[in-house]
Amino acid sequence: MTSTSIQLVPLLMVVALFTLFIVGGMGSKMRQTSDYGFSGNYSGRLGSGAAIASNWMSAASFLGLAGLFYLKGYYAMAFVIGWTGGYVLLLVLLATQIRRFGKFTAPDFVGFRYESEAARTVAALISIGISVIYCVAQFRGVALLVSWLFGIGYQAAVVTGGALVVTFVVISGTLGVVRNQRLQYFVLIVAFVLPLMFLVRKLGYFWVLPQFGYGQAIIDLQNQFGFYWSEPFATISLFHWLALCFTLMFGTAGLPHVLSRFYMAPSIRDARWGVVWGLFFISLIYWSAPAYGVLGRLYDARAGFAFRTPDPMSADAVTLTAALQGGIPVWVVGLLVAGGLAAAFYAISGLLQSGAAAFAYDLYPRLFRSTAADCDKLAMAKGFFLVLAALVIALSLRPVGMIAEIAAVAFALAGNTIFPAFLMGIWWSRTNAAGVLSGMLLGVLISFSSPLLGGLFPVVNTLFPLTSSAFLGAPLVIVVMIVVSLATRPPSSELVGFLTRNVHDLGER
Amino acid sequence: MVDNGADRGINIFKPQTELMRGEVRVIALVMAAWLVAIVGSQLAIWYLENNIIDYWLSEIVFFNLPLHFWLSGQFLPLWFILLGVIFNLWMDRHESRKFAGTIRYRAVGRRKEEQQQ
Repeated sequence: MTSTSIQLVPLLMVVALFTLFIVGGMGSKMRQTSDYGFSGNYSGRLGSGAAIASNWMSAASFLGLAGLFYLKGYYAMAFVIGWTGGYVLLLVLLATQIRRFGKFTAPDFVGFRYESEAARTVAALISIGISVIYCVAQFRGVALLVSWLFGIGYQAAVVTGGALVVTFVVISGTLGVVRNQRLQYFVLIVAFVLPLMFLVRKLGYFWVLPQFGYGQAIIDLQNQFGFYWSEPFATISLFHWLALCFTLMFGTAGLPHVLSRFYMAPSIRDARWGVVWGLFFISLIYWSAPAYGVLGRLYDARAGFAFRTPDPMSADAVTLTAALQGGIPVWVVGLLVAGGLAAAFYAISGLLQSGAAAFAYDLYPRLFRSTAADCDKLAMAKGFFLVLAALVIALSLRPVGMIAEIAAVAFALAGNTIFPAFLMGIWWSRTNAAGVLSGMLLGVLISFSSPLLGGLFPVVNTLFPLTSSAFLGAPLVIVVMIVVSLATRPPSSELVGFLTRNVHDLGER
Repeated sequence: MVDNGADRGINIFKPQTELMRGEVRVIALVMAAWLVAIVGSQLAIWYLENNIIDYWLSEIVFFNLPLHFWLSGQFLPLWFILLGVIFNLWMDRHESRKFAGTIRYRAVGRRKEEQQQ
């Protein structure tokens, strides 16, 4: 997938889509903004669900998942199950209680729950780390699309994409644009599914529900080309597959920008039903994503390359490649590219803003200037946003892996640190500051133990792979939190009372 | 002495009130259904892959998809949604009962206070 000139029609589609989102955001009647970098506009359960889903959609969903299917077949199902099953964990263990807790960010929650500024600082640093890693994955998607749109090389596309993201955030901020997330979700899902319907229809398959229709492509690959679509555990052991799957689930329930959605739900019931609607909307994407990977393989086979192993560095672009090979109208391809760019742009801007907010509101007043006024914090948030953007662009210049796999590292970090901190903070009132601090620091070590210690102790690579470390890591962190908490002073009776009365709403016995 | 909840503490494995016991019970049931579906389906696929000859697994087509693709890619997300709906319906009913109890308590409590005054 290379182009040497500007793709005019798709570019116009991109401009039109962003204009629609900006105008839609400006015309919004309900405005809800926050200094914490999370802003949105929604009402009711359906609206909460659309907000959760639109907040979730990113380059990893639009491009990364299909790329993994194209390259590794069934292996990528771990991502589908991980990124949907995690919402069950969120719903039953965290959503209601987080909504009752009433804190806006993960560091806020940790600081208040564990009565510790040190724990809050560590949580803020981890949140920034998660944002940066996740953004690097997004930038890879942006670079691939921008590279094709403008006919430029990968590194130039990273810088151009970065400049466009910063410009977009500045314009949105200057005009006071609020994310109209319901509109955004429905446009993005159409941008993802409509091209698939065109592709499946052109192949003569059942196009009304392409989520099932693409199955014929698998059968055709078998019957016509002798290509059997990846035996499930041919390239990965059952243990590692499950490790990846559960890491993604723990990470989903620990991503700061996902958890923050629940503070903003209008009511507790809305928070819960919003998760279910959100899961349904997200599932619509994941029911469809494998199709692009499978169709990419079919087009390869038709071109005479049925058994060629795809290049991992270009596999991430298979959503676009398949659309181009399928010969669908150029405006439909443009819609797909515009949707992918919008998903990545909003994900990046949200993550960078929340990372900048974590610095400005959680770290700056505590570590650098205790007397900082609100206007100082706001200025710091803007400045740190640019610093983070520059850092992410620099890290993205050299491709380090596939989109979904880079994202999985961020999920592993969240699953090893924030998830246990929230889970224990809500469900065991005896957990204290020493417990959560030791747990989170151990979680960071576990997350990066494979590149750090894997050379010295090869068993670390087996137990805690970089993308799948939370399967064993999160339980280990929880055990350490319990042991350290029991060995040290319990939390204050005021806090235990708050948990009992306010968070679990137990009232009098 | 005022009960501010501090003496009780929260432990998911030792729910202290009937209401919390009910909540923990439904959480345990949903989590069990979640875990069994994920691990059970993959164990079954792994077993079939390793014990059935050739590409038999790929040739069983269900809803136009190979069985393992349908099971993991289509059914499990749907199963998670279903679990979410069941959990929410139960929690809504559970909270309605609790809320009704709270109104009764408040009415009785207020009357007692008025009598004491």
